[in-house]
Amino acid sequence: MTEPVLEIRGLTKRFRGLVALDHVDFTVPEGTICGLIGPNGAGKSTMFNLVTGFLPPSEGEIRFRGTPVTGWSPQQAGRSGVARAFQIARPFPGLTVRQNVRIGALFGRSGPRDVEAATDTALALLGIEDLADRPAEGLTVGHLRRLEVARALAARPVLLLADEPCAGLNPAETDAMIAALRRIRDGGVTIWLVEHDMRAVMGLCDRILVISAGRAIAEGTPGEVAANPAVIAAYLGSEEQEAHGA
Amino acid sequence: MTTRILATLVFLAVLAAAPAFVPPFEVRVLSLFCFWGALSLAWNILGGFAGYWSFGHTVFVGVGAFVPGVIVAKLFDGGGAELMPLLVLVGGLVSAAFAGIIAWPLLRLRGIYFAIAMLGVAQVTGELSAAIEWIGGGVGLSLPDAVPAALAPEAFFHYIFVGLLALTIGAAAWVRGARFGQGLLAIREDEDTARMLAVPTEGYKIAALVLSAFLTGLLGATYGFSLGYITTDSVFRTDFSLNMIVHALLGGIGTIAGPLLGAAVMVVLTQVVLGEMLNLHLFATGALVVAMVLLAPQGFLGLWRRKPRAQREPGP
Ligand SMILES: Nc1ncnc2c1ncn2[C@@H]1O[C@H](COP(=O)(O)OP(=O)(O)OP(=O)(O)O)[C@@H](O)[C@H]1O
Ligand SMILES: [Mg+2]
Repeated sequence: MTEPVLEIRGLTKRFRGLVALDHVDFTVPEGTICGLIGPNGAGKSTMFNLVTGFLPPSEGEIRFRGTPVTGWSPQQAGRSGVARAFQIARPFPGLTVRQNVRIGALFGRSGPRDVEAATDTALALLGIEDLADRPAEGLTVGHLRRLEVARALAARPVLLLADEPCAGLNPAETDAMIAALRRIRDGGVTIWLVEHDMRAVMGLCDRILVISAGRAIAEGTPGEVAANPAVIAAYLGSEEQEAHGA
Repeated sequence: MTTRILATLVFLAVLAAAPAFVPPFEVRVLSLFCFWGALSLAWNILGGFAGYWSFGHTVFVGVGAFVPGVIVAKLFDGGGAELMPLLVLVGGLVSAAFAGIIAWPLLRLRGIYFAIAMLGVAQVTGELSAAIEWIGGGVGLSLPDAVPAALAPEAFFHYIFVGLLALTIGAAAWVRGARFGQGLLAIREDEDTARMLAVPTEGYKIAALVLSAFLTGLLGATYGFSLGYITTDSVFRTDFSLNMIVHALLGGIGTIAGPLLGAAVMVVLTQVVLGEMLNLHLFATGALVVAMVLLAPQGFLGLWRRKPRAQREPGP
């Protein structure tokens, strides 16, 4: 048995009155793609904020590769091999696509000699090498998302936290992103994925954690989760309501 | 890349050769260009690369000039001319140390708050230099005449200013190409994302301010020697702080050639074109800045080089 990349125990985050995460447990095994799903405001991005050190947890423990890392800084997380693609893609607007990705590589875990190689590999894997010299400002949503993932990947992370990488993508772009994530996993990077696109989640994930209003309500394989009545009620149900309401 | 280095060296060599060919007034104008250009480029390391605009960079000119002044008055009784290189270096180092002390609280502020805090630091430090009798800022401080007998004063200081300009260009170019510089750009573009990418944002911001202050301090100390007699009003000058920003904006902020180009334009405009009409300087500066902001927000360089650069407010 290999050691889990990430272990979450009793993780809790309170924002004044609001409990955004309530004693959540989860384990991300090495070499897998795990999912984190739940309705809007369930606490998914908050989970990533805690794991990456952007926010300190109120309670609970986070272990990365067996080491307790609760309350670490974003820099410590980054240096240790946790990369993140933000929900709202945040490339450096004034720099080119290549400069963006290269900064990921420069401060990541590849040695100084590997910076250009890591940059080229990440650009190619996301299929944006043709855009390398274009300014990040003014890219389409699809390209921005790919740039966001490429920059995270260039750091040669151990764990990639991808917050809705398919949001705003058309079906063809979604397929490309799914294929890219699979190739990233095959390259040895463990992935934890937040995604509303059910096709992406069900097709990609080995295990899924479902949260609703900060609480874990189900956990298991995609099949198990999809068949769970609590999930259907809390998550798929609300999706349907949204769909009908719209 | 190598052609760029070669072009820069030729440019500096031509500048340095000027005293042999042109009359004293023109040499002084060229020295002024070196001084302003280097100041603006030093400011640009923090303001242009890291996006932390300082509105009070003249504080480092002032500290850089006052430190040799005080040392000379207290230790050498007005003498010590032969120690000028060392005194200039100490001026730079004390400026850098001062920057290191204020960096920790100040660089926690972002954007316009940092800019205003620097303005406050410059104001307070200037007032103190004038108020504390021991320093002698109220009355002024003399700096010894270090010009060798074989050289004309304007030639002597011109060589030093060209040297300092070369040093500043070298420092800025090194920063720009290094991992450090890429980290500063990341901070300018989005500091939170930079943290996530493991850029040591705190350390880099402090290092950028300290390096910028060191270079500015060297320039300030040399400027003090060239004046021969300094007061608070002659070195803690708000127009210096302003000009550093204006030159960078005019030429192209965040670049290396930009601040130099901006300084060149302003020197020609104020010293040559409007040389006789002193009261028009401020008006011309203002008009030029307004025109540039409206017509070419990326500076002169941006006019012919369509390089990607976001139009950004000062700081995030
Ligand atoms: N920094 C913060 N301060 C206060 N409240 C916050 C903060 N961040 C998140 N919240 C609140 O915590 C709850 C969970 O937010 P979070 O962004 O984690 O949800 P999410 O599951 O990512 O939702 P979405 O699917 O819309 O992205 C929300 O009610 C949100 O308003
Ligand atoms: Mg979210």
